[in-house]
Amino acid sequence: MSPEALEIASNFILDAPPGELQDVRADIESLLGDDASLIEELTPAIEQYNKEQLVSVVLPGGSQRVIVSEYNELPDGRYFDVESQSSWAFDHVTQKASAVQTYTLESKHADIIKSAVRSLSTHLSEHYPALPSSGIYPSTDDSTIAVVIVGNKYSPSNFWNGRWRSFFQFDPSNGSLTGTIKVDVHYYEDGNVRLLTKKSVEAQLGSGASGAELVKAVAAEEKKYQEELNREFVKLAEGTFKGLRRQLPVTRQKIDWEKIGTYKLGQDIGGGRNNDGGKDNECGRQ
Amino acid sequence: MSVDPFDASLDLLRRLNPKRTGTNLNSIITIAPDLTEDLLATVDQPLEVARCKSGRDYLLCDYNRDGDSHRSPWTNEYDPPLMDGTVPSESVRKLEIAANEAFDVYRDLYYEGGVSSVYFWNLDDGFAGVILLKKAPKPSSAAKSSGTWDSIHVFEANDKQRAWHYKLTSTVILNMVSSGETLGELDLSGNMTRQAEKEFPKGEDSDHIANIGQMVEDLELKMRNLMQEVYFGKAKDVVADLRSVASLSATNKDRGIHQEMLSGLRQR
Repeated sequence: MSPEALEIASNFILDAPPGELQDVRADIESLLGDDASLIEELTPAIEQYNKEQLVSVVLPGGSQRVIVSEYNELPDGRYFDVESQSSWAFDHVTQKASAVQTYTLESKHADIIKSAVRSLSTHLSEHYPALPSSGIYPSTDDSTIAVVIVGNKYSPSNFWNGRWRSFFQFDPSNGSLTGTIKVDVHYYEDGNVRLLTKKSVEAQLGSGASGAELVKAVAAEEKKYQEELNREFVKLAEGTFKGLRRQLPVTRQKIDWEKIGTYKLGQDIGGGRNNDGGKDNECGRQ
Repeated sequence: MSVDPFDASLDLLRRLNPKRTGTNLNSIITIAPDLTEDLLATVDQPLEVARCKSGRDYLLCDYNRDGDSHRSPWTNEYDPPLMDGTVPSESVRKLEIAANEAFDVYRDLYYEGGVSSVYFWNLDDGFAGVILLKKAPKPSSAAKSSGTWDSIHVFEANDKQRAWHYKLTSTVILNMVSSGETLGELDLSGNMTRQAEKEFPKGEDSDHIANIGQMVEDLELKMRNLMQEVYFGKAKDVVADLRSVASLSATNKDRGIHQEMLSGLRQR
């Protein structure tokens, strides 16, 4: 594959909607040929996609979903999870875990991490109805703690899929909590509609905050954002959308096409001619 | 590989971010140049606006393009000028002029602004055309959100023995962005395509405008309502399916109480 084609195909992979990576891959194979070297060349993009999208997997012999991300990657390329005390090898192309081993958390923040794991599990069961997964990990230099949460809902038979991701960083030395929340929804029945959102959040916790307090702060930021997002849907529907195209003309009647020649631009509908506004004419209604 | 590269390209464009359809289309063409013409003729993109020498704005698309020039519906001339650019026959151009006047009224009534253009071309047993509407209000500097609407209605009018048969394919591209301190960034964009077919009794040539007008008005209303449902209903519902604002145990408890009350009522 030429460097140009590889870059294009890699960008397609990174842009794949939730739950549709395999479909995008199949399309790329149809365009470029499905020989083994193609997948080999695309593996770095697939790995980046999996880690960015917080792909989750059930470990062999396990029951819970564990996350694969940049935050729980070990120097040897394996991944670890605190709650199940496991580490595993991960094949990014097949999204399969193998060679599970026992993992022992070694961190000066082990106490807060372990107590946060329990609170986080309750938070997930209370607020994430669909295929949720989460993880809490010490950073490589053991200075901060990462909290990541993902909720997925796949409904390809109804042509829609969605993903919620929360990424938080907590610094126990000064109590600062920073994070990013991202929502991605795709609807594609005879069309292609995508909701993509991104919100940065910041909060300050007291010194010596417990694991439960950390999760409580994460939950509060998520809730605040979700309520704002819901308000924005209403605002867009009532404002921006209505300002683009009316449901019916001001007369509240469909056009009489037999008499289209007798309509006069801007004159029969109250108010003057109005090219760029949108709402002024409504004021002229009698 | 069983999947045809053209179908794979369309599938890809149906999945990747619709806001970047233009970029993605160019990328596909780069890796599969054989598909260039078919894809350009099939994939709808947001319309560009140009001003013709009459001073009026008109819309550019593949249907009024000849080489690197586009034909204005108001003057019937190409810009940059072409000596032998394709134009409709005299009778079809006459209809095209009337259609542009009619859909200018339609635009004013439904969009209260924006730009419209209609282009017709001859077929062996009738004619075909495209009705374009675009509204892209300039966002005021204070506004936190803005949107653009593009309608592309392509039809064929076929002369059957006893009736006129119309086939309409409509695409609406609706893009919205919003941002703010508490909201962060939001992009809600995409496109939907629907079709309609109808027969009308034969009449005067001028009846074509009324027939096509009715069909476009009906389908566009349907699509507007469908988009309202998908953009503000479905997308919101999916977010609620991913994460619940209320605690699930409380919600389930409420549901349980509700069920008990219902069954209690039934037993009475």
